[in-house]
Amino acid sequence: MARRHLIIGGGTAGMNAIRTIREEEAERSEIMLVSAEKPYSRMVLPYYLDRSISESHVFTATAAVLAEWGAKTHLGRRATNLDTKASVCTLDDGTRLEYDDCLIATGSSAVKAPVPGAELPGVHSFWTLDQCRALIADVKPGGHVVMVGAGFISFTILNSILSLGAKLTIVEIAPRILPRMIDDTGASLVEDWLTRHGVTIRTDARLNKIEDAKGKKRLKFAKGGDLTCDAVIMATGIRTNLEWLKGSGIRVNQGVVVDDHLRSNVANVYAAGDVAEGPDRLSKSGVVHAIEPTAQEHGRVVGANMAGRGVGYAGSLVMNIVEVCHLDVASFGAWDDGKAEATVGVKRDRHAYRKLLWTDDRLSGAIILGPSSDIWTTNDVGMLKGLVQSQVPLARFKAYLKTNPFDIKPAFIAVKTAGRLLPETVLGRPAKAPGETPVAV
Amino acid sequence: MSILKITPERCTGCLRCELACSYMQTGEYQPAKSVIRVSPFEGHTSYAPYTCVQCAEGWCMTACPVGAITINAAGAKDVVDDRCVGCKLCTIACPYGTMFYDPDTRKAFKCNLCGGDPACAHACPTAAITYEDVATSDWLADFAAERTQRLLVGV
Ligand SMILES: Cc1cc2nc3c(=O)[nH]c(=O)nc-3n(C[C@H](O)[C@H](O)[C@H](O)COP(=O)(O)OP(=O)(O)OC[C@H]3O[C@@H](n4cnc5c(N)ncnc54)[C@H](O)[C@@H]3O)c2cc1C
Ligand code: SF4
Repeated sequence: MARRHLIIGGGTAGMNAIRTIREEEAERSEIMLVSAEKPYSRMVLPYYLDRSISESHVFTATAAVLAEWGAKTHLGRRATNLDTKASVCTLDDGTRLEYDDCLIATGSSAVKAPVPGAELPGVHSFWTLDQCRALIADVKPGGHVVMVGAGFISFTILNSILSLGAKLTIVEIAPRILPRMIDDTGASLVEDWLTRHGVTIRTDARLNKIEDAKGKKRLKFAKGGDLTCDAVIMATGIRTNLEWLKGSGIRVNQGVVVDDHLRSNVANVYAAGDVAEGPDRLSKSGVVHAIEPTAQEHGRVVGANMAGRGVGYAGSLVMNIVEVCHLDVASFGAWDDGKAEATVGVKRDRHAYRKLLWTDDRLSGAIILGPSSDIWTTNDVGMLKGLVQSQVPLARFKAYLKTNPFDIKPAFIAVKTAGRLLPETVLGRPAKAPGETPVAV
Repeated sequence: MSILKITPERCTGCLRCELACSYMQTGEYQPAKSVIRVSPFEGHTSYAPYTCVQCAEGWCMTACPVGAITINAAGAKDVVDDRCVGCKLCTIACPYGTMFYDPDTRKAFKCNLCGGDPACAHACPTAAITYEDVATSDWLADFAAERTQRLLVGV
């Protein structure tokens, strides 16, 4: 069995893998961790941005915890080369690390739209803790912030910008917002809601250039007037961190191609999280989901497999939720399957919207939208996930839900969804609590 | 481990469990903040309470990006308020729909078995909710399957 495990990347996937190795093994193996950044959770950075949490809250493992886990760390170092024949990883300071098996969990990075001025100071990305710190210094009460790109990441920081007292304009090249999270109807409802809450949205806006203008930034567009602001955030996409694997012989497509044990084409190399192209739960084909729950599950499955368990992975399910100005927006599974049979429900007076997507009598995807204070609209958000996850046949309830898409609960219970879900665990055993001390020392 | 066993046939729909739960969890009598929720069946002729089954996976717990959900002394998955940032990931990760978000506190909340002395079980006058050392189960399934027939008439 592998005695020396090398974890490359200390984000969500990497840390879940380390913890799971320690949970699974009877006798302590050697764990090496290489990470360009200290372990923290990117998705809670918005809460640090508006100071609802302190900086220390974002870290997922302190030096003390890493020591307790017995991980030999190379923090602030990058892996630059993987020699899969010799099983050696080389770091940017020349250090060579020999391993018996290794995990590639290098995540993704933010990419700025390639326009002149994108690299000026005051033009930010928002993906890392350093970038978050830089933005904090630039967002002032009463200031004006322009977000370029109306995707999920923009929406995760929208509340924070507003609660810092800044004025916000969102510009988007596409004709609509949130293209990869909800459908057209949902997007128009969200756009409406945001406009009413004082956010300016400009779609169909092609940014040509950003320039300095007396301490401010001026944005110029292909058509329409200029915008002047104090800070620009470019949330224009992400790219998987794969370049360093060139020449390694690891098979790469959108991400590192892995099988249902999250193993790459090289038997002792695994991949997990944003960088892995793993099985989709519904279609079973390889996908890069780039979401937190996928990184967690991937990390845990790889950790168990590195510890010798041989755990097969059922595949990951797309799920996203974001709250903007007290409006909840969530989607699951194949919500954007244009060919699927769809049931739609809109209650404009309650700002509520539902879309259910069907494969025969099973739910393959869903969109849900409603005010977060309205229990009635958001109460059953988890049940929608349960219906998609369990793939329970809704049988005669399909017809009921087609006329009552807001009344999920009786259907969920009566088709015995809970009974199907109860036996399922990701690792084939009950999960342990995050703080539970590893057994083997 | 003891859990909440639900015997739906005994429920009269009095909603005392919701009141007791919200009072225990938030200090207010506010059914909207209860983590046990009673559903009507058969055109409000029968009722059944529904709450967290304390599943083995703990989808909420494993999804939390900051480790804010843990297992308390009673063995229940429990939100540590100081850790929770209110990101709602757990509310979509829980496939049972029993993870909630409180807009007032901006934290997630769920059934924590009141730390081992569940208020709902005490409050239930008919023993439809009991706190017992039994394996968890899909308590409402058969009851609901039978009592939703009328919902389906005409659809
Ligand atoms: C602002 C924001 C909000 C988000 N909100 C959500 C949300 O609400 N829901 C959701 O599901 N997801 C969200 N995400 C996405 C989520 O954070 C990612 O999917 C998740 O972090 C992926 O985990 P990972 O371990 O694959 O990669 P990461 O967490 O990105 O970790 C990768 C690690 O590898 C390190 N690294 C990179 N290259 C190298 C190298 N060559 N050598 C060594 N180390 C390297 C990095 O420094 C980092 O530590 C959000 C992300 C951001 C930025
Ligand atoms: S809402 Fe709180 S408990 Fe739930 S996942 Fe987010 S931080 Fe964790």
